[in-house]
Amino acid sequence: MIRVVTLDELDPADLAFLTRSLYRAFGLGTEYAGDRPMPDGAEGKDGRVDAVALLRDAAPVRTFADDKVLYVASAPLSLPPGPLGEPPCWGFAEFGKERALVSTARLAARGASESSIEAFQRRLAREAVHAIGHLWDLHHCVDARCAMHPSWSPHLPASPEMDLCPFCRDKSERKIRLAKT
Amino acid sequence: MRGPPPRHPDEQREQLPPVEGFISDAAELAEGVRVVYPNQGVCTVVGIEEKDISGQKLQLVRMRREEDGAAVLVPRNKVPAIGLRKVATGGQIDGVFHYLAAQFDDPELDWKVRHRDNADRLIAGGVLGLAEVVKGLHTLSRLRPLPAKEREQYDNARHLLVHEVAVSLGVSPGLAEDYIDYVLMPPPGVTFDVPPPPAPVLLPPRPRRRKPAAEEEENVLGDLGLGELGIDLDLVAEAEAPEAAGEGATEGEGAEAKEGGEEAEGGAEAVAAAPPADDDAEADEDEVPPPPRAEKKATKAKPEKKAPAAKPKKAPAEKKPAKAEKAEKAAEKKPAKKPAAKAAPKRGGKKK
Repeated sequence: MIRVVTLDELDPADLAFLTRSLYRAFGLGTEYAGDRPMPDGAEGKDGRVDAVALLRDAAPVRTFADDKVLYVASAPLSLPPGPLGEPPCWGFAEFGKERALVSTARLAARGASESSIEAFQRRLAREAVHAIGHLWDLHHCVDARCAMHPSWSPHLPASPEMDLCPFCRDKSERKIRLAKT
Repeated sequence: MRGPPPRHPDEQREQLPPVEGFISDAAELAEGVRVVYPNQGVCTVVGIEEKDISGQKLQLVRMRREEDGAAVLVPRNKVPAIGLRKVATGGQIDGVFHYLAAQFDDPELDWKVRHRDNADRLIAGGVLGLAEVVKGLHTLSRLRPLPAKEREQYDNARHLLVHEVAVSLGVSPGLAEDYIDYVLMPPPGVTFDVPPPPAPVLLPPRPRRRKPAAEEEENVLGDLGLGELGIDLDLVAEAEAPEAAGEGATEGEGAEAKEGGEEAEGGAEAVAAAPPADDDAEADEDEVPPPPRAEKKATKAKPEKKAPAAKPKKAPAEKKPAKAEKAEKAAEKKPAKKPAAKAAPKRGGKKK
């Protein structure tokens, strides 16, 4: 089961599209589990929120074995800098565990037109599939058409697909099949 | 009793220095030490225990794989052989990132060599070997889609690299993967000013290619132990050399000599066939031992000689002017041509 939790306000239509997309990508039941407040002091000096700290401090959601929780926030996220700099952050997931986070801050503005709304929804769904994929032990994929391709990659198309490539799909299905529940 | 000859007797494996942090003594494996088991990932030593297996008391090092908690048991005396090593140090990790950030546009295109080398790197290459596999296959994937096996290998290498980097840097695997891919696939406009990457991992040499059949046979003969039996292969080669030289000589004149030899029965070309025979005799007289390759040439030339002999129509075509000249000079040769003329259709008939 995938449980979606909002940390900031999100349009119900976007939420419905998101849950449908996650269900289609992983074949797992997906439901909206309500909203939770943003943890106190999450925002850093530069106005961004440390994704690792946010995921650690976010209010828990009641889950059962193998349930995955996806937090959706609208604040810009940051990551601790690595050996060669700080990677851009669209979301973050505890690899192979149960909590992931995505942010809408880097997505194109939702706008009011049908096409811009659809583009927003599709990109949000893509980032959500990417984050949940990490929870199912999927690594970044070399295929630019796969949802597991890094979000900042220069090879990523302008409107990336929200589907998994056959390799990632097989791997995730295998992992899901082997899960305890 | 002699065993089978080594498969590649001339290609001995070179002893290369072990990778940095290689654990050669089980005494280093104290409880709580983190080590990297090749192709398995980071493990923590739980302790050393003694077990009775098939009546033998074995000392086993018990380890726990950090990723999933799987138990790994290794006999204490096998520790140096399995390639355990310490978790990568900060310097090694810097080298890995510099390697990943470097420009690399020349992946190995021969899939057999690539797959073999990558498998060696995963086992014996240390953390830099993992980075080389990831970088190489990633670069290749930009040129063409990876085949299923290599896609799997790429995923395994990436998994091992991510976990080792995560353990070494003390961050979560998700973050370590972001660091790696930020360097491997930098966003547009981002460039890294890094020092030159470390030298690639040295791999033990592999046998390159199978030798041609003739050379292989020679090697096999060399390994039969004939030397021990008092048989000198060089002397045997010399004894066979004149025959080989004779065949070699006929090779030069090729089809004509052979055809001449066959048609000698017919009589008309018997004179033309004589010179090659003289050449053979000369070769015998000279008794110059040819280089060992002459034998090979002779053996290889055999099928070539048969081919012109099978040509049924060439011989009659060449004989026609001879027939005309000799029919005018001597009537004796006329009956000799008839069997030759008959022979040609027979061959053709057989072929059909």
